[in-house]
Amino acid sequence: MKKVEFIIFHDGKEWVVSNGVMSLSDPTLVGLDAKICGALKREGIVKPGERARIRMAFDMGTMPQWIRQYSQHYFNRDIIIEGEEDKFK
Amino acid sequence: MALTERRWYTGMLSQEDWWAVWLGVGFFILSLFNIFGLDLVGWITYPAKWVFNPPGAKGSISHAFYALGGKYSIAAKGFYKGLGWWSVIWTYVIFTIALCIGAASMKWNMRRFFLGWTIIYFMTIASWFIGHHAFIAATKIDRHKYGLDFTLSLGGGGSYILALIVGLIIGNFFKGFARFLSEAAKPEWYIKTAIVTLGVKLGYLPIKMSGMSQALGKEATKLTFELFVAGCVATIVAYMVFWPTVYVIARKIFNLPRQTAAVLGSAISICGVSAAVATGGAVRARPVVSIMVSALVVVWAVIELLILPGFFTHVWPGPKDPLVAGAAMGMSVKTDGADAAAGELLDEFMRTKVEVETNGQVVWPSGIITSSAVMTKVWIDMFIGIWAFVLALVWVYRIERVPGETVPASEIWHRFPKFVLGYFFCWFFLLALYFGPGHGGAPEAMPFLKSVKAGAVPVEKGMRKLFFMLTFLSLGVITDFKKLKEAQFGKMVWVYFVSLFLFVIPVAIIIAYIFHHGMEIPNIAQYVK
Repeated sequence: MKKVEFIIFHDGKEWVVSNGVMSLSDPTLVGLDAKICGALKREGIVKPGERARIRMAFDMGTMPQWIRQYSQHYFNRDIIIEGEEDKFK
Repeated sequence: MALTERRWYTGMLSQEDWWAVWLGVGFFILSLFNIFGLDLVGWITYPAKWVFNPPGAKGSISHAFYALGGKYSIAAKGFYKGLGWWSVIWTYVIFTIALCIGAASMKWNMRRFFLGWTIIYFMTIASWFIGHHAFIAATKIDRHKYGLDFTLSLGGGGSYILALIVGLIIGNFFKGFARFLSEAAKPEWYIKTAIVTLGVKLGYLPIKMSGMSQALGKEATKLTFELFVAGCVATIVAYMVFWPTVYVIARKIFNLPRQTAAVLGSAISICGVSAAVATGGAVRARPVVSIMVSALVVVWAVIELLILPGFFTHVWPGPKDPLVAGAAMGMSVKTDGADAAAGELLDEFMRTKVEVETNGQVVWPSGIITSSAVMTKVWIDMFIGIWAFVLALVWVYRIERVPGETVPASEIWHRFPKFVLGYFFCWFFLLALYFGPGHGGAPEAMPFLKSVKAGAVPVEKGMRKLFFMLTFLSLGVITDFKKLKEAQFGKMVWVYFVSLFLFVIPVAIIIAYIFHHGMEIPNIAQYVK
């Protein structure tokens, strides 16, 4: 299965993902997932019939430094998408 | 550069947890060179009680600090004995090098860290020095040696309280200075390093006791394993009872939203900041929710640190059930730093009290009560990752049902408290030496065990207590009590107060009683001068 990696963080208003190739944002995670799926298909990164695992690793650098000594991990999110029009598996 | 955890080894050179392991285990390994006749840790400094005009040989200000190798070293006793106060400088230089390597690896501001660390270190030494004036530290058992008729009888606890007060004064009245020190005021890093050295303490305890009698050594081993098991069971019960109750209090009584209630529930019922962040991540809350809850936790934890050790020592359960008090502390105080610090203060208070009340007939070795507080906290920390994973499964698959999202099992490892690996490594390595070449403390193995002791003591006594002192002072620096009044927290402050003081602490005491009542600390009075 193809793997695509992003970093994810919240800028106070929206969830933001980026990986040096593209940057997307949305107020909700569901909305963000839909934008990721659409963008990957438009760019041809995920082709029709292809499955891909999208890994979003939270950027702890966006958490205040004082909190990082207590906990160094927020979450990693994985979603599986298929290269079909508007369809998640 | 983004700080993300994508691989199992991510963070080994960039996270405080791992650097607590490298520091603690690093110095522990250096201590083991004593087995081969090379003492690399005897320079670690330690205070002694003092007065300005001692009546006898004991208590002069010129001996107020000494290198532990001057007392315990086999390979280089003469050299370390000559260090005296210079051991303070040796300790500063060597730990500065070690900590600066860590800070650079974690990409901190090195200039600010170095300056802040230097100030914090010497303020810590000053607090340690003042706190060991015999008027503060001596008890009715030994105050006559210093020519005193009355003393505060705080034992080593006086130094801790003084360090905390100094830190709180800075943190609450000199906020610009506190901000300057913040790069080096890292209580969690210092306490996690201290907890790794507490593993050395636990592993060394049977070796130390077997130097008094082989039976005592075996008793100490048995007690540490009992604490290990009891701490695990008590923690599981605490999770099952605390979390659902606090979640319901937050939702039904205070009408907080689901994600906020989940994060607050974990913070109050499990383990403060780390649980709040883990739960926030598990339920995919906006980070600001975990940040706000965490800011509250840090302040309330210090309030608990100020109240609970004295309450458990002088009100209930007192020295009748010291390990119940320690375990209850571990389930009540909500950050590793404040809990271990509170456990250490409780250890000092309880040992001093029982020694004074029995007129020296009962003397407990230091660190066992601390260990009971830390043991439950260690188990709580280990289970956070599993708890957060279960919450994430429930949230993603049952509550939010986000299409296509899966919850990777690697989340458990990423949330696992890495410093615990160092703690168990040191503990079990020393136990292996005790049972292996140490022959379980048999007389023929004494020369070997003495060489292990020569290295272990500077680390488990000197390094551990120094890092506890650094924790107390740093905790004070980062604690701003005015935060409780900030409007953004609103009713969260009251959820915290009601849940913690009216439910969590009383229930923690009951659970600790069920699993720790009757556990006894070995009495070493007859072996101590």
